[in-house]
Amino acid sequence: MRKFLRAVPPNLWAILFSMFFLLPIYWLIQSTTKDNGQLIQGTFVPGNPNHFADNMSDVFSFNNGIMGQWLLNSTVYSAVGSLLSTLFCAMAGFAFRRYHFIGRKLLFMIILGFSLVPAFTTTLPMFMEFKNLNILNSIWAVIIPSCVNVFGVYLMVVYWNQVPEEMFDAAVIDGAGEASIFFRIGLPGIRPGLITLVIISFVAIWNNYFLPLVMLSDSSRFPLILGITTINSLQGFPIYNLRIMGAFLTALPLLVIFSVLQRFLAPQLTGAIK
Amino acid sequence: MRKRHSVRAYLFLSPFLVFFIMVIVYPVISGVILSFFGQRGAKMWFVGIKNYASVLADQKFWGSFGMPVFLLLVQIPLMIILGIFIAFLFERVKGSSVYRLIFYLPYALPGVIAGILWSYMFSKSMSPFVPLFEALGFGKVELITNGSLPFILLVIILWEWTGYTALLLYSTLVSLPPEYAEAAQIDGATRFQIAIHIKIPLLKDTIILLLIFNSIGAIQVFNEPKMLGGLITLPPNFTPAMYIYNEAFSYGAFTYAIAMGLVLAAVIFIISFFFMKSSVKELAVNA
Repeated sequence: MRKFLRAVPPNLWAILFSMFFLLPIYWLIQSTTKDNGQLIQGTFVPGNPNHFADNMSDVFSFNNGIMGQWLLNSTVYSAVGSLLSTLFCAMAGFAFRRYHFIGRKLLFMIILGFSLVPAFTTTLPMFMEFKNLNILNSIWAVIIPSCVNVFGVYLMVVYWNQVPEEMFDAAVIDGAGEASIFFRIGLPGIRPGLITLVIISFVAIWNNYFLPLVMLSDSSRFPLILGITTINSLQGFPIYNLRIMGAFLTALPLLVIFSVLQRFLAPQLTGAIK
Repeated sequence: MRKRHSVRAYLFLSPFLVFFIMVIVYPVISGVILSFFGQRGAKMWFVGIKNYASVLADQKFWGSFGMPVFLLLVQIPLMIILGIFIAFLFERVKGSSVYRLIFYLPYALPGVIAGILWSYMFSKSMSPFVPLFEALGFGKVELITNGSLPFILLVIILWEWTGYTALLLYSTLVSLPPEYAEAAQIDGATRFQIAIHIKIPLLKDTIILLLIFNSIGAIQVFNEPKMLGGLITLPPNFTPAMYIYNEAFSYGAFTYAIAMGLVLAAVIFIISFFFMKSSVKELAVNA
């Protein structure tokens, strides 16, 4: 075993693993160029003739252009949810950093404890709650839960703890109020944390399939990730080339975000725990 | 010095707390209450702990843990071993930053997309592997069968998480003080010996964290099998999360599904607690 491992040079191992990790992404990209007849041939080479443009226009004209609506829905849910949840987490983190208050430790423990509760436990009672509030099958049923990011509170506490106490003291001496300390002095000081949290939340909401699956029944309110799994012919069979194009359009922004903003998205586990 | 201002503190906390209570605390509490009710359609009546008694006696519910247990025993150890191997590879390979990005890319894609891609790649109609098997003389093989499902799920989850795991281990590896390895090298230890005897033991905390998060994840697998379900008929209790979803939305047993969700949460609490306690014990012994 050791001999075998050593006989293969590191770069060759790296190339072999790269092939495995890139294979489905490559398969997705080359499949967007195929119509259904070419797809069932099961090759690894792009379609000839190339149907990329046809697939793209077909997916956007499917069901009277509902694809554009899904794209818009996903963008709205992710943008609103990520900005609001980040602001709320930053404010909560600021409170834990700056003040001693009644129930401070207890509250932190409660937040910690509830963060372990899985979505499959909370989503069903939340379904009943939203039914009673009459917001089931509305955009609020997706946006309201998207405004909460429990992990974000820890991340913000970690970042706030890096802001030196003297910065707050100096602001107080200059006569700044608490709100202006938070917005003018605090937030700029934790900018990298804010950017990281906005990106993480945006991606998490963009990718959330289970919540809209439970909460929404009207397909015009679906986000992209749920919508593409419902691309069927009138007979109820999946239209594979359009689903593949839909998957490509869902994945593309994520691949771009991760490639361009990689430095904000490095695994943070150890940093956050320490 | 921190200021003592409870009112101000809660003003800053209030937006988070309002939403936190609305979507986590209240659902958990109302879930506990609802779990004591029987239900048919819109009708509900108090049944005490009957739902829990049924959950504990429900063989389908406990059967749904077969898949998470398989992942825990096979997929997670395999992924951590591969992750360690790749983390050491990152230390030695040229152009490691390019490979780090490539290996991290699957993590950028959600489980639903991973599920769609792999299930199509293994499907009877579109698989690019079937022609390869045919060329090798195996005939027209069917790749997705009830027997192969655990293996297919294993491939999907390994593909999604191995790069992330490796990167996490690598970032720990880079942060280790280099003195230990240097001292061992001077004493004539080989690279392999240094890896096994010095570096891997120092990765222990990260490995424990990975075990906790992955076991919790294994219990909650939903999206990938849901996508596989588009190509093959899955049993309704394929995973615990799928069973809860199906009981609630296919069979309308809503309060029963809520009770199962709470039992699931309890299982997750016990696992986290068990791992954390054992890791705390280890730390105490080492200190």
